[in-house]
Amino acid sequence: MATASSLLEPLLHTYVPASRTDESLKNDLVSHCQEILKSHIGQKTETNFSQLTDLVKRRLLQLSPSGASASKFTNLVARLLDQPVLSRKQESILFLFALSSLNTRQPPTIQIPVLTTSFPSRRQVQQQSPNNISSLIGEDGASSASRLKEYRLLKGVSHMNESLLVRDTLYLMQGISGKYVRFSSLKDDEKNLVFGGNSKNSISPSTQALILRLAELGYLYSRVENFVRKRESAHGVGMIEQSLCHYLQIQLTEYYRLIAVLETHLSCTQRESADPPSSVNEETGLSLRRLDVWVTEWRLRMRMMSVCVEGARDSHGGALVNLIHSYTDNGDPFVRRFTDELLEEVSRPFFATLQKWLFSGELYDPFEEFFVTADSSHGHVPYVHPSSLPGGISQMSNEGVFGGFSGDAEDLSGHRENGQKLWETKYRFRKDMLPLFVGESFGRKIFSTGKSLNFIRYSCLDSDWVVTREKMSNTGGILEYGDIGGLERSIDTAYQVASHRLFEVFIEKFKLLDHLSALKQFLLLGHGDFADQLMEALGPSLARPANTLYRHNLTANLETAIRSSSALRDPVDVLRRLDARMLEYSHGEIGWDVFTLEYKVNPPIDTVLDLEAMEKYLKLFKHLWQMKRIEKTLDKGWMRVTGGAQKFIRMPELEFEWHKVRLVMAEMIHFIRQLEAYCRLEVIECSWKVLIDFLNKKEGDLDALIDCHRTYLDRIAKKILLWNSKPGKEEVLLRQLLDIFAFILQFREATDNFYNFCLTESARKDQEMDAERGLFTGTPKESDLASSQEHLAGILGRLNEYGSGFSERVLVLVQQLQIHPDLDCRFLGIRLSFSDYYKPRREQQPLQGPAKA
Amino acid sequence: MSTKESERNSSAQQTLDILYDISQLLNTQLDKATIATCVGMVENGVNPEALAAVIQELRREGAALSTQPPPNMG
Repeated sequence: MATASSLLEPLLHTYVPASRTDESLKNDLVSHCQEILKSHIGQKTETNFSQLTDLVKRRLLQLSPSGASASKFTNLVARLLDQPVLSRKQESILFLFALSSLNTRQPPTIQIPVLTTSFPSRRQVQQQSPNNISSLIGEDGASSASRLKEYRLLKGVSHMNESLLVRDTLYLMQGISGKYVRFSSLKDDEKNLVFGGNSKNSISPSTQALILRLAELGYLYSRVENFVRKRESAHGVGMIEQSLCHYLQIQLTEYYRLIAVLETHLSCTQRESADPPSSVNEETGLSLRRLDVWVTEWRLRMRMMSVCVEGARDSHGGALVNLIHSYTDNGDPFVRRFTDELLEEVSRPFFATLQKWLFSGELYDPFEEFFVTADSSHGHVPYVHPSSLPGGISQMSNEGVFGGFSGDAEDLSGHRENGQKLWETKYRFRKDMLPLFVGESFGRKIFSTGKSLNFIRYSCLDSDWVVTREKMSNTGGILEYGDIGGLERSIDTAYQVASHRLFEVFIEKFKLLDHLSALKQFLLLGHGDFADQLMEALGPSLARPANTLYRHNLTANLETAIRSSSALRDPVDVLRRLDARMLEYSHGEIGWDVFTLEYKVNPPIDTVLDLEAMEKYLKLFKHLWQMKRIEKTLDKGWMRVTGGAQKFIRMPELEFEWHKVRLVMAEMIHFIRQLEAYCRLEVIECSWKVLIDFLNKKEGDLDALIDCHRTYLDRIAKKILLWNSKPGKEEVLLRQLLDIFAFILQFREATDNFYNFCLTESARKDQEMDAERGLFTGTPKESDLASSQEHLAGILGRLNEYGSGFSERVLVLVQQLQIHPDLDCRFLGIRLSFSDYYKPRREQQPLQGPAKA
Repeated sequence: MSTKESERNSSAQQTLDILYDISQLLNTQLDKATIATCVGMVENGVNPEALAAVIQELRREGAALSTQPPPNMG
């Protein structure tokens, strides 16, 4: 530094000429300059050369925007670098640059701080020219704060001692009014702080704000506490709410602990600071600010709790869990952790209920908080055992139709509904109560699982299995909120096990498959021989008026039909359920209209085979039975027109008429055979296969099973009854079909008449011929030839009418079938008109009633 | 020897010229002598920015003194 200081002198001389003469000034300046040199101005910025030149260039551009000087500078720097003399070129340039920037900064009078503060005063002191104000500052050294204090002292108003306020604040944080600061209103919802102070002391606004902040805790605290107290005293509080209160209580206890610790701290502080009064303990004491820092976390926690309390006011059970769950998606890890913790606690009763429901099918939910609710009208009452089902003997009463019938029907339907109703309405799913973390699909699964178990237990009387299952699954661990993955796994397994078991129970224990196939064999006339036998046995009596039929006759005939057919080999249980009965009839109906077979089902099978399904089966039976009847009638008629007519009747003049009858009848037989084949092969068996495939898979729950059976039945009903999906046209084809059936029956009657007429006629002719040969075979009847001719014409006319009517209607039917939306029905159309026989009239001009076998 | 000496001198002269040019460009208002002094100090390891501050300070001081009333000068 020696050289540096020696070099300083010329500089001094250059810039401060006065220093040449004034030694003290010179020394002063030199020492000052050396101070500056020793200081660390700018040493922090370690710049390299290129950065420096960049800076300089930028500066040059500022000075002269043309850019010429910048390029000149680059040139100069390059030349400088060539020079060997200087060892510290960068520093030299830096020096110039710094000086230059200082130079320009001068005008706005921003000066280097080191210089401004001390130098002038030093000089002024040295120059012995004191200024009033500066001397006051300099000599007194008091801050404005202290002066303010003095001013306040003067006025007689002073600030409160903070330690007193700290005590008050601690009270406030517990929702209690303090000595100086108190809550103004006693109402829960609105609390205002009143800063009292006393006559001498006031509380400064900043402290007030601080206390206000802290008092928020007290406000929140009293809300939460109120909530807990209220719930404690109230009864009928849900389990979830109870556990929420429990958690809140724990939190509040923690909070008390914090307050207690703070209080101890405060009293320690006060004892310490008692010796030097007035001064607050700086290092360890409790100040409002410290308090604020310490309770920051608690403030957040209290806010969360208060929000939960707010939410709990108008939501309930699962919805409350949902509400809390919605806060777990918070970005703040603190909030997330807090809600997770809370949820863990709050969801505990939910999971307890869930476990009970999922593994034992019991709903223990005294406060209706679970997302499954039980319909109280269907209690846990086990069923009446099948054997006690009342038989319908009074149904057959001839006269007292009203009394006996209605009572029994009601009773019966009441029982019938049970299985289905129970399954569908005993438990209901409440979506708004489902916790979000479970998810709706899982909720459905849970719902279905519990329902299945419950059903197995109470409706299928298989509680042993359920109990065993329950024990087994209990070892698997407890369900809780923290383990959603595990929860989903156990739900899945429980669901599979339960639904599988339900299938097993239905198929093995209750022989669902037997019942389904029995329904198919008997009600859908799958047993052809049985149907034939029954038709044969019942046929004659069914043609009589309905009121002459007796139930015991019907059942006897049914018995006969069963015995004489292969149906005998069916299980006894199935045959026992089969019954023949009559529907409600009105005047003028005959046996065909009212007869029906019936298949009785009891719980729990009636869950699948519900009342609605049974009605459909009956409807189908009626239709198929009628078809069968037509077929049988035509069969008999055919025997007559082929065998009988050719054998006994010798009337060559009517041979052509007979031929025509045979043609029409063949057409009818073709029609009915095709129709039957369609029903049997295309509809019933195909649908049956779908159903059986589903049953063999054993997937899904009871709902799926019910659905599957329902679709099976729907499909059959729609196709057999030729149901059209177009609105307003649903039953058009069925009506046409029934029309056709009626025509066939009428035609059949007409052929019978024709046959009888021919028989009489030929008998008369035989008699005449016998008489001619001199053989007396009976008194020749005086027959009126004219009237007999008229009779014949009438019969032939009717035959013609019915025959052509039939053909026309079939034509229309076929046409409509060909544009039917259902493919199978369209195929029936093709079947019926395979050789394009039934073509619109104009297309088949040349064809006139061609033969069709 | 003398040629080397003169070479050294001339290169020192050149360097000084260059630095002077740069200082002109940067508008530092230093004369050649001062530059020489300052560069010498920098070469001796003085913190260049502090030195700049010193120059600045001295200038201000000088200006202040020159505007002071004459009695101070005397």
